[in-house]
Amino acid sequence: MDWPPFPCAAGMAPGSQKGFAMHRRRALVLFVNSVVALIGGGLSAILGAFALRPYKGAEGRWVRAGALADLTPHVPVARVLAISRQDGWYRERARETVFLVWDGGKALHALSATCTHLGCQVRWDVAATRFRCPCHGGVFDAQGNVVSGPPPRPLARVEARVDGGEGVLVRL
Amino acid sequence: MKRAFDWLQSRTGFRGARHALLDEPLPPGTGWFFTLGSVLLALLAVQLLTGAFLTLYYAPTPDHAYDSVRFIIGTVPGRLVRGLHHYGASFLVVALVLHMVRVVAFGSYKAPREATWLSGLALFGLVLAFSLTGYLLPWDQRAYWATVVTINIARLTPLGGDVVAGLLQGGAAIGALTLTRWYSFHVIFLPAGLVALIVLHLVLMRRHGISGPVRSHAGDATAFYPWQAARDTAVIAVVLVALCVFAWNGPPPLEGPADPSDSTYIPRPEWYFLGLFQLLKYFPGRWEVVGAMVVPGVVVALLVLLPWLDRGPSRDPRRRPLVVGAFAVGFAAVVGLTALGWRDRPQTAAAAQTWTLREIGGRRMSQASGCAKCHSPDGIADPLEAAPSTRGPEWLAGHVVDPEMIAPGLREPPAPAAEREVAAIVAYVRKLSRQAYPGFAAETETAATIYARHCIGCHVIDGEGGKDGPELSHIGAKRDLAYFTRLIADPEAVNPDAEMPGFRSRLSDADLKAIAAYLESRK
Repeated sequence: MDWPPFPCAAGMAPGSQKGFAMHRRRALVLFVNSVVALIGGGLSAILGAFALRPYKGAEGRWVRAGALADLTPHVPVARVLAISRQDGWYRERARETVFLVWDGGKALHALSATCTHLGCQVRWDVAATRFRCPCHGGVFDAQGNVVSGPPPRPLARVEARVDGGEGVLVRL
Repeated sequence: MKRAFDWLQSRTGFRGARHALLDEPLPPGTGWFFTLGSVLLALLAVQLLTGAFLTLYYAPTPDHAYDSVRFIIGTVPGRLVRGLHHYGASFLVVALVLHMVRVVAFGSYKAPREATWLSGLALFGLVLAFSLTGYLLPWDQRAYWATVVTINIARLTPLGGDVVAGLLQGGAAIGALTLTRWYSFHVIFLPAGLVALIVLHLVLMRRHGISGPVRSHAGDATAFYPWQAARDTAVIAVVLVALCVFAWNGPPPLEGPADPSDSTYIPRPEWYFLGLFQLLKYFPGRWEVVGAMVVPGVVVALLVLLPWLDRGPSRDPRRRPLVVGAFAVGFAAVVGLTALGWRDRPQTAAAAQTWTLREIGGRRMSQASGCAKCHSPDGIADPLEAAPSTRGPEWLAGHVVDPEMIAPGLREPPAPAAEREVAAIVAYVRKLSRQAYPGFAAETETAATIYARHCIGCHVIDGEGGKDGPELSHIGAKRDLAYFTRLIADPEAVNPDAEMPGFRSRLSDADLKAIAAYLESRK
């Protein structure tokens, strides 16, 4: 392409005021660069804050998970619960499995069915009275403690309570 | 540091690129008028950036678009980013027009810069296409109805109007297929074309150099950087600060969710289409195509041909009275039409006046029906007045009758317990989706509830209700409180031929007094 020749900086500011022109040039460069940096920085700050919008975990809600009468002491019972969960602008109807464990008296707790190793769903092995994870052989006891295998932590506890009479509520 | 740059220079030659990009020689006397192109570039960059970031959260489906936009503007950064994008479009149109005025006034379109002028016109068209397609995306009432009008205008295209409209609409009606289509145009096809055209425009601008001032000045050429760049930067800074002020002070409008069944909504275009909108009003009926296609077509054709219509060597506006005069007249016409369109815009009634009695009455009924059991801040659903419903009337009616049913339409709801209550609650919730509850006096709410439950079957108030009995909109001018109280309690005692049932047993004394007082207030 036949671009016109580029005059060099010295050629552009001829005459005795060359020193002054160079001084002015430096001031203008500083002005342009700092304003561009300001604009870029400001936009980046706004857009960054926008993109990194902090995720607000939803408050747990008490969800009905069946009746105490349906439970057998010391045998975990799986319950699939439908919960409504806010996911950004979307209200998701999620299903989550929890195990209810009742000691036959007043104590009741609930365990998440999600294996703490890689997130597969554990099952209750009635014969062995153990939770087993089908993926990598993690084994937990009825309290959710790790018995063997790769899981690093016990199964997550889910808040649970008996509602007045006989209803069981868990907080999800 | 210097060694690192030297290494980079040896591998990439970036200093040459910087030299080629920034050290463009400019004719002496190039001044502030020539900053508009850079302002446009900066504004386009802001649009591209904010637009790209908006797609992080936006979902282009009718079920979710509105909710996702509401979600975006739910935080300060989101409001700012959408504000910059929204007002940036208006700033762009203004800057484009000013740039064009400068080019015409300085005769910069003349040989050898005809191709630069044409690429600039194409860019103008692209920007308008951007604003049209972007307008639909929030999927609110404004967006929906403006798009209905746009597609119907496209249908006026002589020969193949239906094909063009079908291409824009995607499906049988404006809906999911239209939204994804316009989204795709807005974020993929148009930006690709825009970037290509900008590159072309800039390459052409550099190829011929900028036209410079009308009369040549004495002196040497100066480099773009930093001499002209400083002017550009100063103007850009002022413009962007103004844009931030807009984005900060006036969050862009988001009306109720799109409601194709709403026959009361009056569509309004964005302000820079108001002139065109106004023009259509002067060509009613079968002449509409003249306003929609012929006049704008002639204007575009004249602009395209301008470099060949004005071939004289002089660029001085004083020596081109015909072109400058004609352009000024055209420009004044556009401004005048826009001003007329602005003046003619429908006045929005005060919020409270648009609420019908049934809608007001629905509020009390929704409270009495226990909607708040789930629709509360800590319930499983959003409070009714916090989140506008995006559902249609059939869904809402099904849900009100049987709240467990979260997918009405899949099965029949049980027989409605109280049809009028359901209708009133649905009316209330649908009104809420368009307008926040303005608040009414407790007596008005009581009266509205009674009217929506007992009177609406036979009596019209403000155009709503059955016609078996007399209209009550202005009944207060004829009768007084005592009369209403006696009549409603026991109609036959007042008029032996009355067909209206008595309400003494069905209304409490307080309710009776409230509805009688309300009717008296209807002068």
